[in-house]
Amino acid sequence: MESLGHLLSGFAAALSWYYLLYALAGCILGTLIGVLPGLGPAAGTAILIPLTFSLDPTGAIIMLSAIYYGAMYGGTITSVLINVPGEAASVITCIDGHQMARQGRAGSALGIAAIGSFVGGTLATVALVVVAMPLASLALKFGPAEFFALMVAGLCLVVGLAGKNIMAALLMTVIGLLLALIGLDPVRGAPRFTFGVEELFDGIGFVPVVMGLFGVAELLLAAETRQTHMIEAELKSWMPTRQECKDCVGAILRGTGVGFVLGLIPGVGAIVPTFMAYVLEKRVSKTPERFGKGAIEGVASAETANNAYANAAMVPLLALGIPSSPTIAVLMGAFIINGITPGPFLFTEQPTLVWTVIASFFVGNVLLLILNLPLVGLWAKLLKIPFSYMCAGVLIFCIIGAYGLKQTMFDVWVMLGFGIIGYLLRKLDFPIAPAILALILGPMMEKSLRTTLEISGGSFAIFLDRPVALVLLTIPLIVIGFLVFKPRSLAPLRESDVE
Amino acid sequence: MLIRRRTLLAASAAATVASPAIAQNYPRRAVQLIVAFPPGGSTDVGARILAAMAEKDFGQPITVVNKAGAGGQIGFTEIARARPDGYTLGFLNLPGMNTITLDPERKAAFTIDSFIPIVNQVLDPGFIWVKGDSPYKTLADLVDAAKKNPGKISACTTGILSDDHLAILMVQEAAKCEFRIVHFDGGAQQLTGVLGGHVDVAFDNVGSVFKRVGTEIRGLAVTDTQRSKFLPQIATTPELGMPSVISNSTRGVGAPKGTPADICKIVETAFLKAINSAEMKEKMDAVGLALKPMVGAEYAKYYADLQAQAKKYTEWALKMR
Amino acid sequence: MRQGRLIATGAMLVFCVFAVWQSLLLSLTDRLGPGPGFFPFWLAVIGAVLAVALLITTFREAADPSDAETRILPHGEGGKRWLAIVVLLAAVTVAMEFVGFRIAMFAFNAILVIALGERRWWVIAVFAVLGSVGVYYVFTTWLDVLLPVAPFGF
Repeated sequence: MESLGHLLSGFAAALSWYYLLYALAGCILGTLIGVLPGLGPAAGTAILIPLTFSLDPTGAIIMLSAIYYGAMYGGTITSVLINVPGEAASVITCIDGHQMARQGRAGSALGIAAIGSFVGGTLATVALVVVAMPLASLALKFGPAEFFALMVAGLCLVVGLAGKNIMAALLMTVIGLLLALIGLDPVRGAPRFTFGVEELFDGIGFVPVVMGLFGVAELLLAAETRQTHMIEAELKSWMPTRQECKDCVGAILRGTGVGFVLGLIPGVGAIVPTFMAYVLEKRVSKTPERFGKGAIEGVASAETANNAYANAAMVPLLALGIPSSPTIAVLMGAFIINGITPGPFLFTEQPTLVWTVIASFFVGNVLLLILNLPLVGLWAKLLKIPFSYMCAGVLIFCIIGAYGLKQTMFDVWVMLGFGIIGYLLRKLDFPIAPAILALILGPMMEKSLRTTLEISGGSFAIFLDRPVALVLLTIPLIVIGFLVFKPRSLAPLRESDVE
Repeated sequence: MLIRRRTLLAASAAATVASPAIAQNYPRRAVQLIVAFPPGGSTDVGARILAAMAEKDFGQPITVVNKAGAGGQIGFTEIARARPDGYTLGFLNLPGMNTITLDPERKAAFTIDSFIPIVNQVLDPGFIWVKGDSPYKTLADLVDAAKKNPGKISACTTGILSDDHLAILMVQEAAKCEFRIVHFDGGAQQLTGVLGGHVDVAFDNVGSVFKRVGTEIRGLAVTDTQRSKFLPQIATTPELGMPSVISNSTRGVGAPKGTPADICKIVETAFLKAINSAEMKEKMDAVGLALKPMVGAEYAKYYADLQAQAKKYTEWALKMR
Repeated sequence: MRQGRLIATGAMLVFCVFAVWQSLLLSLTDRLGPGPGFFPFWLAVIGAVLAVALLITTFREAADPSDAETRILPHGEGGKRWLAIVVLLAAVTVAMEFVGFRIAMFAFNAILVIALGERRWWVIAVFAVLGSVGVYYVFTTWLDVLLPVAPFGF
């Protein structure tokens, strides 16, 4: 009850016009960061930190949080329109979001993403106020063993999405993991698979690979058939229809739950919640065959989970002082620079400030919705641009994105190479999403496995002693086993399940 | 072929950069400050405070970029490889950086001469701590347990051959005991590891955790010749009968070899001014980091001396393997 | 299609076997626990097994009659556009190192839209300028994203 009182006075402060202005400016800037290539949310937020120096600490934090939310949303726009995820968390949105755009439903996709983000963000903030503090310490129980198990479970679930292609999906996962291992060994520092090429020491960049596999490959596929526009379908909708919204209620609520719980665990990152929510949605759906072909629930679940995660990730930061993603770490840096040390003492030492910031999370989510719904139509209009210009534009976008992060031409070559590979894999019906997720999770997965084995002295028995890890490891493996070996008794069930 | 062309271009770029006209304009755009440890650890916190304060005088944004992993090797490699035009600077963590170059298995792509040390910021003494409700009340408890169960008590570092790893080796040698060594990437992971009960003891530095001492965590010893001003209640290792266990970490700003001297001077002036300011002291006190400004010949000598010292420790560590 | 899948799977098998060999050159386990080669070795072994299994199942699959019509590699009129994009991307990547982002991008934009069928010269000119000099200005000045500059300074 005491926190409710604090929260109310927090609202009173956050709703003053100048804080509202900061939050609004932050939302707009953040969305731009998400849309533009070459700037991840972390780098983008970092660049904008100096903007906040002239503000008072509360104002600075409000603006930076708004930038963070905006950036998380901005990536959705490019995913839907041109199949290029603006940041890792939008990879899943590409799957159904871009298909929806191809069917002329870009407006619906962007609209439901904005609505889902709003609901997910708001509910997660409510949960943050009510239950988060006790939960934060529970999340510490999640050690390297559980972490490794969670990664394995996540990858297996994504493989499960592939339907009849399950073997190919497993193989693509392994290939993605192997690609992720290129570079310096994260524990001992020995170079692996680098062949003396110094550009490879830091590993194969995620951004150039994704821009190639998604963006360039998409263009190559489109170029092959005579097209005047990137997407031929007539724009049918500007907003999700009443029916579409109704279909998404379940997806949005489940997405919020998944995003919130995973957001509490430090280090999970934004991408795991999005694909977990997506897989869950496909599993509970009565018509799983629509997923991957423009199911609005797919977009809603991933985007909701993304934003619920973004808000929940504030819990380990505020309550424990542990940043759970690079972007949050940048925020933490900004907190410290502004004289606020996140951690267990923050709530007792500076309650006014903390609760004002939490209240501003609510305000930020509302502003983001107000800002983005009217703009959905404008974004969707971009698809009217003739193919030749769209093609050149997307390529400029991809080149800057690939080059900009590390300033090396090597990454542009990587993008081109993966563009061609992506084109061939799409033609041959090899699923790409598992490889992408494996590429992101690979380093974390190896590190947590090796840390686990260091803790256990090299014995795998540690997984048997840890119930959470054991459950996370065995269930998905059993599921995969069933899907691969296709026991006859399950055949009828499987038919409705696949694709 | 690709690589050859790149080297060629880098060389031509370096030639352009070396011309005084460029140095006069420096800095014309944002400067990257690479930190070889993950966000939230004490290197990162110190770097972010420094970057924020130095950029006021510097006139351009200074962006902290975290490139963590392999005990800092990934980030140090990045600094060494960067174009020496003053737009990429990096945090040099000693002795962690020294030991990497001394371990042949790591095939480090840099040597100690790949960097120009410009200005030191912090000297952070080593600190041994356990969870608040841990059965180990003193350093002696811990050492006894490690003696009774060799290789069973897990102790975590902030990376292989980091100052923390060396501190564990020193304790093992001084007390004739053996720990099970777990390598994390940085302080934030140590915190979750030990508070979550996954690891028994952390070999860390004062700065990352001093605020939590007393409530969540219990300090066992500071590995320095004198008590830390932030933790006056915690005894030092010499006080506890282990005079040979002295380990600390210094962190300063450096540039890749070949960066023009006048650019280094501009960086030194801006950063040193920030380090010596009252505001810096206040902010660093709040996070438990002791300032130790060193520039020019003093820093260069420290840098060189440490290499000789680190050689001894690294040879130990390699023998363990 | 079936043939294409067989070739692709074969290529992945080669990749995995190569990875097995490479990770054997690193230490798998030693006194300090799992070494650098541990994770890649087991992954690559699993990958190789999966690739062999996939080769076998693909081989056994009955040929789909509709398969004959799906061509994997681009061809005909569309193939030319496909090739234009790939060649231009490669060319601009090489060119950027020597003439900088602005000049390379200007040429890339102009040639690409012409290759894709645009003929109005003034539209081409405006687009090429905006997509090179304009984009360069926005990214370097406002966003601090570095883009390649030629050795001669443009």
